Amino acid sequence: MSSKKRRDAPAEKALAARKRIKSSTEVLAQVNKLAAILKGSTAVARTLDGLHLPQTFREVVEKDADAVLDEVEGAIYQAALSILNGEGFTYDIPSRGRANQQYIPELDRIVLKDSKAPRTFASVKTCRSAVITTRILQLIHELCQKRIHVTKRDLFYTDVKLFEEQNNSDNILDDVACMLGCTRSSLHVVASEKGVVVGDLRFREDGDEIDCQRMGVGGKAIPPNVDKVDGIRSNAMFILLVEKDAAFMRLAEDRFYRTYPCIIMTAKGQPDVASRLFLRRLKEVLKIPVLALVDSDPYGLRILSVYMKGSMNMSYDSSNLTTPDIKWLGVRPSDLDRFNIPEQCRLPMTDEDIKTGKKLMEEDFIMANPEWVKELEIMTKTKVKAEIQALSSFGFQYLSEVYLPLKLQEGDWI
Amino acid sequence: MPRKGDTLEQKSPAEFFAENKNIAGFDNPGKSLYTTVRELVENSLDAAESLGRLPSIEVTIEEVTQKQLNKIRQVVNHERLDEELYQDHETEDAKKKRIVKENKDRERLKKQLEKKGESADAIEGKLKDIETKNAAASSKTLKTFYTVTVKDNGMGMPHKDIPDLLGRVLSGTKYGVKQTRGKFGLGAKMALIWSKMSTGLPIRIRSARVSQSFISSYTLDIDIQRNEPNVHEAKMIDNPDRWHGSELSVTILGNWQYYRSKIIKYLRQIAVITPYSHFSFTFKAEDASNDIHVVFARRTEKMPEPPKATKHHPKSVDLELVKQLIQKTKYNKLQQFLCKEFDAINSEHAGRLIEEMRSGAEPETDPRDLTNKQILMLHQLLHAAKFSDPSGNHLSPAGEYNLRLGISKELHPDLVATYQGDAHVLEGHAFVVEAAVSIGGRDIKPGINIFRFANRIPLLFEGGSDVITKTALKRISWPSYKINPTSDKVGVFVSIVSTKIPYKGAGKEYIADDMQEMVQAVKQSIQQCCLQLKVKIVKQQAARDQHQRRKNLVKYIPNAARAVFTVLESMAESRAVGPKRKRMQDDDDILAPVKQMQTSEDTLIARLTEHVAKIDSDMALEYQVQQGMAEGIRQDVYLVPLSAQHEFGRELHASTCVIKLLTAL
Repeated sequence: MSSKKRRDAPAEKALAARKRIKSSTEVLAQVNKLAAILKGSTAVARTLDGLHLPQTFREVVEKDADAVLDEVEGAIYQAALSILNGEGFTYDIPSRGRANQQYIPELDRIVLKDSKAPRTFASVKTCRSAVITTRILQLIHELCQKRIHVTKRDLFYTDVKLFEEQNNSDNILDDVACMLGCTRSSLHVVASEKGVVVGDLRFREDGDEIDCQRMGVGGKAIPPNVDKVDGIRSNAMFILLVEKDAAFMRLAEDRFYRTYPCIIMTAKGQPDVASRLFLRRLKEVLKIPVLALVDSDPYGLRILSVYMKGSMNMSYDSSNLTTPDIKWLGVRPSDLDRFNIPEQCRLPMTDEDIKTGKKLMEEDFIMANPEWVKELEIMTKTKVKAEIQALSSFGFQYLSEVYLPLKLQEGDWI
Repeated sequence: MPRKGDTLEQKSPAEFFAENKNIAGFDNPGKSLYTTVRELVENSLDAAESLGRLPSIEVTIEEVTQKQLNKIRQVVNHERLDEELYQDHETEDAKKKRIVKENKDRERLKKQLEKKGESADAIEGKLKDIETKNAAASSKTLKTFYTVTVKDNGMGMPHKDIPDLLGRVLSGTKYGVKQTRGKFGLGAKMALIWSKMSTGLPIRIRSARVSQSFISSYTLDIDIQRNEPNVHEAKMIDNPDRWHGSELSVTILGNWQYYRSKIIKYLRQIAVITPYSHFSFTFKAEDASNDIHVVFARRTEKMPEPPKATKHHPKSVDLELVKQLIQKTKYNKLQQFLCKEFDAINSEHAGRLIEEMRSGAEPETDPRDLTNKQILMLHQLLHAAKFSDPSGNHLSPAGEYNLRLGISKELHPDLVATYQGDAHVLEGHAFVVEAAVSIGGRDIKPGINIFRFANRIPLLFEGGSDVITKTALKRISWPSYKINPTSDKVGVFVSIVSTKIPYKGAGKEYIADDMQEMVQAVKQSIQQCCLQLKVKIVKQQAARDQHQRRKNLVKYIPNAARAVFTVLESMAESRAVGPKRKRMQDDDDILAPVKQMQTSEDTLIARLTEHVAKIDSDMALEYQVQQGMAEGIRQDVYLVPLSAQHEFGRELHASTCVIKLLTAL
């Protein structure tokens, strides 16, 4: 009896919260305000060159097939010349290691410093990678000439014997992109699609008209090469970035975007390059706020940071991949108590979690936002984490019918 | 209170050990066989070493069946009258069940073999094998006995002392402390008790002291209850060859099958730690085809110094020991007693200690006159006061030389490094840790193989919680020494010697892992070995790289040439799309020759091969120079001057040599 009472108390509160939700226009008032500020701010996007920093940094740009072709031919020409002169050949590969990365607070993202390492054929240590680099250059040359795209997996299978593991070809592909000074997607090699999008969004993909409101529950797969996307149109008020597939499906099935016009997308965990490119493109074209719904654990925050500041692995391409200014909507550590998430849905953090959490707190981009620091402090102090699904304890549709509207109405993002 | 009819009986030390065989390593027949061999071998080693002779030890184990044993014991071997009386009798039901099961197994096996497509003959053969194996297994249930004989070239035993030396379990403390091999001071006596308990056969002894004209020959056993020797026969035989040493022969219940590997492992490891000994081991089975004969040959004639007895360190004594020392001492002044009977106390120090006691004791007091209270005070003070550590000079470690030699001779490793640490102290007892780490070798499995030695005898059981095992497996970061702990064949040898080894567990089979000093000393010794190895391994790796460099580079030439040429070909057929190529092409057109087929893939291959060859020879030269410098091989070379009248010019230094020019005057 008593245990039932205890369980009912938060449920009642949850239902009471539902009554506080007003009409959809009123709910979206705060979002509108944010969007207006965003559209009004004519802050020019700052670039690395514009900062006039004393050191040189390395960044890559989007290049068309011919430009890439010229870069590849230049590199191979150089190598051939050197071979014919009897000097073997060497590539200068920009180092992508952690030691060569730096966070630029003015830009709010990670960039590569200018250190390079020679990759010489006639050295036992670098011989293999020099040969793989040559082979990849040749394959890219072929792709750019034929103007076709392949996946990383395809690339690996063209010469399994030499590459041995897909890791090798993937890594060297990034090296090559860095060396040629272009983004990885300009190399005509794409990762297989992972992200999905649904909601108030229409665009043309390679000439085909796509309407993301008619994509059923599963949503539209985010195209691997964003350069084939154009004609983006939308009446959405905001973009809702969801960490997980499960929450995405809930929102898609409940047609959340009908009540509150928005675009919902997810990359199902760690975002791939295509999803990050797509999000950046949407934000650039539509100029609407991006709100994130991630788990209340260090991992969720890490995912958010990849969207915003770029990943360590792809830091050379951070200018093309990152979407700064994503608002953290939920689930935040402070929400757990505010929404009376029951105990059984909160999980104790493992030692590993706590370590990651503390490490995050020391990272520049978290420290740049005091409110995020506060949330992280709550997390590491209470040592409790929760997933988005914890909200389902009040009913499966609590997320789409109560939690999100309430958060939007209160403008509760940081 | 004892009940009426009960009598209080005094238990003899022999009785105590008979009842608690497991403490002394006689847990079960198999272990008993192992422990018997080990006790006798260690006795023999001590006997030879104390004489300063290089030990030569012969171990023989002879299988004795129940029937043979009965013959020896003169018990008649009866045919069974009532089969059902016996434990191994098979009832009708059980027999039926067994036959059904056997047939089933047979069928299943047959099907399996047929599936594999083996010929009918092969199948029959395999089935037969299995049946004979089964038969052998069922006959194994019979108890088997073994006669263990160990013969040495040691000092022998005095004729009249033999019964007491072997047939009486002695208790009482030794005067002073000394590093000893034995764990309990029981030696062969426990084997004697075990033989008495399992077969009832007496032990046979032949022994002669150096240049003794006769050999003592005894047959005796032990009266366990009274802890007394019981001599069956004592003889003196002529000794024309002036043989000296001892030969003990004991017949016991054992289990060779399960402990064979342990016994051989033990002998191999004792051969590692005592490379100056010669061991020969023979196993005579009932079936001669199962005989085994192994010889562990002597490799050196250098023996470590025997351990010396030392005085008790004040930190190590307990109350009872203090009382005993007081009783036995020949000094009748307290001050003298303290500085003569204890380590690390000099006369002045003793005076200060007595003053500190303040309980009426004077330096001149006869220690035997001390009151109980005063003794308590003294004991407390000895533990509270500060003393210098025992020096460790009285210990006898195997020595790096012997350890290295032993490992080399038994394992033939590719690399071996040894290290001997300084003496450390644990509860007033000095200890020395020596270690060796070997890489590669024969009869050694990939991974970390641990060999533990305590007071120069191998420890084979209960290795899991041992300080050496734990340290080697958990506290050493192998990869940082370029050693792969899973795929390399690594041998870790650690030998600890001490006047008191801190054993744990009743069987004294492992050393506790909870003492910081011990853990540190073991870890440091292994690390030191690893450091030495790392240098060698890195050098080896460099030599190997040197050797394989060319091969590895040449391997990839076709790949690189093809990739580059494919792009060149394609470029030759299309026009430049960007400025970069155009500019380069204007500078130096290599595409025209490609188009005119003057440059081909083979051209690239040839150029790359030339380049690799050049780089390789450059690197080889550099390597040689570096090696030469490191090894410090320098040789003076002189040319005979044409005339006696000459003067030297200045030295000309090159990377490989120094040249002095001379001019004739």
